[in-house]
Amino acid sequence: MDKRRITRWHVFGWIFLVFLLIYAVTPLLWMLITSFKSQFAALQYPPDLYPKNPTTEQYVRLLSPQNDVGRQFLRYLLNSIMVSTVTTILGVAVAVPAAYAFSRFRFPGRKALFFSVLFRNMFPAVVFLMPLFIMMRWMGLVNTYSSLVITYLTFGLPLSIWLLKGFYDNIPVQLEQAARIDGCTRFQAFYLIVMPLSAPGIIATAIYSFITAWNEYVYALTFLNDDQKLTLPVGLQRFFTEYATNWPGLMAASFIMSVPVVAMFLILQKYFVRALTEGAVKA
Amino acid sequence: MAQVEFQEVVKRYGSFEAVKSVSFTVEDGEFVALVGPSGCGKTTTLNLIAGLLDLTGGAIRVGGRQINDLDPKDRDIAMVFQNYALYPNKTVRQNLGFPLRMRKVPKRELEEKVNDAARLLDITHLLDRRPRELSGGQQQRVALGRALVRDPQVFLMDEPLSNLDAKLRVQMRAELKRFHQDLNATVIYVTHDQLEAMTMADKMAVMSGGVLQQYDTPERVFEEPANVFVAGFVGSPAMNLLPARVVENGGAVQAAGEGWELALSPRNAASARRASGDAVILGARHSSLILHEEAAPGCIAAKIYTVEPTGDLTYAHVEVGGKTFVISLDPQRRIRADQPVWIEFDQDRLHLFDAVTEQRLPPG
Ligand SMILES: Nc1ncnc2c1ncn2[C@@H]1O[C@H](COP(=O)(O)OP(=O)(O)O)[C@@H](O)[C@H]1O
Ligand SMILES: [Mg+2]
Repeated sequence: MDKRRITRWHVFGWIFLVFLLIYAVTPLLWMLITSFKSQFAALQYPPDLYPKNPTTEQYVRLLSPQNDVGRQFLRYLLNSIMVSTVTTILGVAVAVPAAYAFSRFRFPGRKALFFSVLFRNMFPAVVFLMPLFIMMRWMGLVNTYSSLVITYLTFGLPLSIWLLKGFYDNIPVQLEQAARIDGCTRFQAFYLIVMPLSAPGIIATAIYSFITAWNEYVYALTFLNDDQKLTLPVGLQRFFTEYATNWPGLMAASFIMSVPVVAMFLILQKYFVRALTEGAVKA
Repeated sequence: MAQVEFQEVVKRYGSFEAVKSVSFTVEDGEFVALVGPSGCGKTTTLNLIAGLLDLTGGAIRVGGRQINDLDPKDRDIAMVFQNYALYPNKTVRQNLGFPLRMRKVPKRELEEKVNDAARLLDITHLLDRRPRELSGGQQQRVALGRALVRDPQVFLMDEPLSNLDAKLRVQMRAELKRFHQDLNATVIYVTHDQLEAMTMADKMAVMSGGVLQQYDTPERVFEEPANVFVAGFVGSPAMNLLPARVVENGGAVQAAGEGWELALSPRNAASARRASGDAVILGARHSSLILHEEAAPGCIAAKIYTVEPTGDLTYAHVEVGGKTFVISLDPQRRIRADQPVWIEFDQDRLHLFDAVTEQRLPPG
C-alpha cells in the first residue's frame, strides 16, 4: 500500500467534511444567534455577527403560558408532538409485524403486496394532495389529527417496512428456532430474541417517522384550518405573518422546533453506526 | 432419554415432497447419524422431530408419546444448529441459562447447572463473553452446552461440525462421541459427511432424494450396502461400480462388458441369478482389487489413467470398460500413467446389484 496516497485522500476527505459541516451548521447557527438578539438588533445593517446584548426574551415569551403568544405557541407545539408521536407509535406498531411477516412468511400475494407498498413511493406526495383531501372530506376527517396521522402513515410506512424487513432478513431464522426449542412460544421467540436484535432498526424507523411527521407542511396546511389544531410548521407561518415580522421570535420558535430533530438525529446516528457494526448477526 | 420412532413420515413443501414415507426407530441412548448428500431432506427430517415444521403425514413418537402436534417447547428436545444460533446479544452465561430460564428453573439451580455444563465443556473462562468474541470452536462448545444444560430426552444436531476447520473437526468429533458415551444420550446427528457418520454413529440412516435408503450399523452399511446409491455414497474413495451383462456359459456364469469378461465365483453366480434381468452392476471397493502388471488368469485388462500418492496409500485411477476405477496400492509400488495393467477381483468382497432396480443382490 502507498501510504502517501492514503494521507492525501485523508486530507481531501477532511476538507470535504469541513465544507459540508460549514454548509450544514451556518444557517442553524445564524438562526440561534438571531434568536438571542433584540428585534431592533436583528434588523440592523450590516448585521452583528453575534448578539451585543443577548436576550432570552423571545424564548421566555414563547414558552410561557402567561401570554397569548406563548399559549398559542405551546398549543402548536403540543399538537405537533401529539400528531408526530401517534404517527410514530402506530407506524412502528404496524411496521414491525408487517416487516417481520414479509421477511419470514411465504403467503399468497406476498410479492404483489410488497411491491404495491413500494409502488406508492414512485409518486411525489403532492400528487395525492387533492384526492386525499376529497377522501378525508368524504370520511368527515377534515380538520382532525386523524387525517394527518393516516396520511403520514400512508407515506411513511412503506419505507419503514422496507427498512425493517432488511433487518429481519439479516437475523438468521435459526435464532428463533433455537429459542422455540429452548422453551419460547413463537411470540416469545420474536419478542425476546428477534426484536432486541432489530432494536436499532426499530429506533431508526421510529425516529424517521417522527421527524417526517414533525416537519410536514403541505398536508397539515391543507387538512387543518382550525387555529387551535395547527401543527408547528403551519402554525409558525400563520403566527408570524399575522403580526409584524418578528425575526428573533421566528428564529427562536424555529430553533425550538428543530431541537427534537437535532436530538433525534444524534441518536439516530449512534444507532445507525451500531446497526452497521453490530448488525453482524450473521453466523 | 428416550426412544424416537418415525412412522411413515411425509413432508411436502407445496407440491414438492422433501421427505417420502420415512420409517425408522432410534433406540434409547443410541447415536444415529442421518447422512446423505446436500438437499436430500436431512434438515427437514430433523426439523420435523424438533417441531419447527409440521408433518404432512405419518407420526413421530418420542418415548412412546406421539409428538406430532406439540410445540417445539413442549417436546423436551435440544438442538445444535450448523451456524450455532447463539443469541448474539446475550453473554455465554445467559445463552446457557436461557433454556432453563424459559422453563422457570429456580435461580440457584440454574446457576449450578450452567456452571456444571460450562465445566464439562471447559468454557468456564468464557462465561461473561458474548458469542461474537468467541472463536468458531468455542461457539460450537457453547451451542453444545446450551443443549446439554437441560438434560433433554433427545439431542438433535444439524451438521454441528461443518463450520469448523479440519483439525478442530476431528477433535470435536472425538469429544462428541465421548459425550454421547458418558451421558448415554439419544442423539440424532445430521451430516453430509459419510466419514463423520461412520466414525461416530451406532447406526446410520442413509437418505437420498427424501427416501431412506438404508438404516443399519455403519459396518453393515459399509459391507452390505442396500443399493447402488448407498454403495457409492458410503466409503472413501467411493466404491467402484461397473455395469455388466450376465452370461451363462454351460454351467459357468460370467459377467461381461465392453472388451472384458469375468468368471463369477459360485457365491456371486448365485447372486447374479437373482437379478430381474441379465443386467447387473458389479461393485468393488478400492481395497478389494489387486493390480497386476502382467497378464494373469481371471483378470480384466485395463490401463492406468493417473496415480495419486497420499503417503499411506497410493490411489491408482484405472480405466476399465469405459469407467474409471480407484484402486489402493502399496506406496512402494512404481506404477506409471498409461501403463497396461490387469485387475484381479477379490470375489468374496465383490458386490452385485440389479441394474434395473439398483438393489443389492444378496450372495447365495
Ligand atoms: N421451506 C422450504 N420450501 C420449499 N422447499 C424447501 C424448503 N426447505 C427445504 N426445501 C427443499 O427440500 C429439500 C430438502 O432440504 P433440506 O432438508 O434442507 O436438505 P438437507 O438438509 O439434506 O441439505 C431441498 O430440495 C430443499 O430445496
Ligand atoms: Mg441441511
